[in-house]
Amino acid sequence: MRKFLNGLYTLGGWLGAGCIAAICLLVVSQVGLNLIDRIATVTTGHAIGMTIPSYADFTGFLLAAGAFLSLAWTLRQGGHIRVSLVTSHLPNWLQSWVDIWCLAVASAVTAYFTWYTALLVLESWHYHDLSAGMIAVPLWIPQFFMFFGLLILTVALIDDFVLSVTGHLPVSSRKAGTEDVTGNEEGI
Amino acid sequence: MPELFLALFLLILLFALLAGGLWVAFSLLVVGMAGMALFTDAPLGSVLATTVWGASNSWSLAALPLFIWMGEILFRSRLSEDMFAGLAPWLTHLPGRLVHVNILGCALFAAVSGSSAATAATIGKMSIPELKRRGYPESLILGSLAGSATLGLLIPPSIILIVYGVATEQSIARLFVAGVLPGVLLIGLFIAYVTAWSFLHPGAIPEEKVEVSLRGKLKGLTLLMPVTLLILGVIGSIYSGIASPTDAAAVGVVLSLGLSAWSGTLNRQNFIEGLLGATKTSCMISFILVGAAFLTVAMGFTGIPKMLAVWIGGMGLSHYTLLAALTVFFIVMGCFLDGISVVVLTTSVIMPMVEQAGIDVLWFGIFVVIVVEMAQITPPVGFNLFVIQGLTGIDILRIAAAALPFFLLLMLGLALISIFPQIVTVLPMMMGG
Repeated sequence: MRKFLNGLYTLGGWLGAGCIAAICLLVVSQVGLNLIDRIATVTTGHAIGMTIPSYADFTGFLLAAGAFLSLAWTLRQGGHIRVSLVTSHLPNWLQSWVDIWCLAVASAVTAYFTWYTALLVLESWHYHDLSAGMIAVPLWIPQFFMFFGLLILTVALIDDFVLSVTGHLPVSSRKAGTEDVTGNEEGI
Repeated sequence: MPELFLALFLLILLFALLAGGLWVAFSLLVVGMAGMALFTDAPLGSVLATTVWGASNSWSLAALPLFIWMGEILFRSRLSEDMFAGLAPWLTHLPGRLVHVNILGCALFAAVSGSSAATAATIGKMSIPELKRRGYPESLILGSLAGSATLGLLIPPSIILIVYGVATEQSIARLFVAGVLPGVLLIGLFIAYVTAWSFLHPGAIPEEKVEVSLRGKLKGLTLLMPVTLLILGVIGSIYSGIASPTDAAAVGVVLSLGLSAWSGTLNRQNFIEGLLGATKTSCMISFILVGAAFLTVAMGFTGIPKMLAVWIGGMGLSHYTLLAALTVFFIVMGCFLDGISVVVLTTSVIMPMVEQAGIDVLWFGIFVVIVVEMAQITPPVGFNLFVIQGLTGIDILRIAAAALPFFLLLMLGLALISIFPQIVTVLPMMMGG
C-alpha cells in the first residue's frame, strides 16, 4: 500500500514534468513553423501557412494537466508555500496539533473540490462540450486530468492526515522551513 | 452595514488561517468559500470547479513554467562564473570596483530569470566568496546583493508580472516591456549609491592589484556574449511583437539548454533536476493562482471590492495620498507574506478601488512589483534574506540591516515612477505588435 501510494505521487510529479516539457516542445515547434513561414514569405512571396492546429488550446490543456497532476507530489516535497513564522516557534506538541488541523482543513476542501470537479467532468461528457478551436476536443478529456490530479491530492492529504493523527511527523511538514538555496520553492 | 462586518470577518479569517500555517492556496480557497457560503446563494461547488478550470488552462499562463524552467537550467549552468569573469575586468576602475559585479550580474541574470530568489542564489554563490576573499566590506557585499537581486522581479521576464497580468487580464508582453525602464532606473540608483559610498569611505574598497589588459577585457566580453544574446533574443522578440511571452519562453528554454550543453554543464541529472524543480515551483504558483481566481469571483459575489472602492472613492483622497497609504499597507503585508500572495490578494480585493481612483492598471502592476521587491528584503519574511542566509549562514537581521540603503533606494525609485509615470508607460506605448 505504502509503495503504491508513493508511486502514485511520484508518477503525478513525473507526468507534470512531462507536461511542461511537452508544452515547451509544442510551442517551439510552432515557433519553428512560423519561422519557416516567414522565410517562405520573404523568398517566394507567399506564406505556406503552416500551423499546428489548436496549439494554443493544447498548450492550455497541458498546462492545467501538468499543474494538477503534480499537486500531490509538490505537497510531499514541501513545495507549497505556507507561513511558518508563527507555527515554527510553537512547542513540538502544539506543532503536531497545527499539522493535524491544517491537514484536516486541506483534506476537506480538496475532497469537496474533487467532488465538484468530477461533476463538471460528467457534465461536459454528458453535454458533449467541445473546445472552440480548429480541433474540437471534448472538454471532459482535459478536465479529467484536473479531476485526477485533485483526487491524488485528496489521497495524499488524507494519507498525511492519518500519519499526523497517529503521532508521526507528516511528510508535507518535513521539508518545510528548510531553505532551498536553489530558490526553488521559496520566494519568487 | 453588514458588508463591513463581512469584510472584516473574512479578513480576520484569512489572517488567522495564514498565521495558523495553512498553505496559502488553501487559505484563499477557504476564505472564498466562506464568503460565498455565508453571504450569497450562489452554487458554491460548481462555481469553484468552473472558475478553477477556466483559470488554469490558459495560453498566456504557459509562459510561467517555461520561464521558471529557463531560470532553473541557467542556475545549474556555468553562467554565474562566466558573468563574474566577464564583468570583473570592466569594473575594476570604477569607484566601488567589484561590488558593481553584484549589481550588474544581478541585472543581467534578472533579464533571463523571473525570480529574485533565484537571482540572489545564482549570483551570490559566486560573488559572495570571491568578494569576501578580496576583502570587500561585508555589509556592502550583502546589501548590494540582496538589493540588486530584487530586480529579478521587475526586469523581464518576470514571474510575478505574469501572475499580475493573468490575474488582471493585462497583456503580459506590455507589462514586461513596462518593467524595462524602471529596472534600468533602479540599476542606475544602485550603481550611483555604491559609487558615492566608495567616495565617502576611501580605503574601504580594496585595491585590485592586477592590471587588466585590453585583451583581458575583450576576453570578458566574449564570456558575456551568450547571455547577452539570450537577453536580446527573449526581450527583443517580445518588444518587437514577433513573439508572445510564451513563444519567447519556449525558445528561451531551448537556447538555455543549448548554452548549458555548450559550456559542458548539461547532463542527465542536471536536466532532470531542473525540470522537476520547475514543475514544483510552477505547480505551487499555479495552485495559488487558481485559489486567487476563485477568491476574486467569490469576492465579486459578495460585493466587498466594490464597496471598498466606493468607500475609498468617497474619502476624496489625492492620488499620492492613496498611493502612499497603499505602499505602507503592502510593505506591512510583505513583511509576513511572499510576493505572489501579496499580488493575488491585491488583484482579488483592491483592484476595483485602484481603477475607481483612476490609476492605470499597467502602471500599477509595476508599482506593486517594486513594493514587493522592497518586501523581499524586509524581515521577518524576506525571501532574498533567506537565500543569502542559506548561502552565508549570517543572521537575517544583519543582512536586512545591510540591505536597508537599498530598501530606501527602491522607495526612491517608487517615488520617481509616481511623479514621472512616463518611465513606466513610454515603452509599452511605443511597442510593436
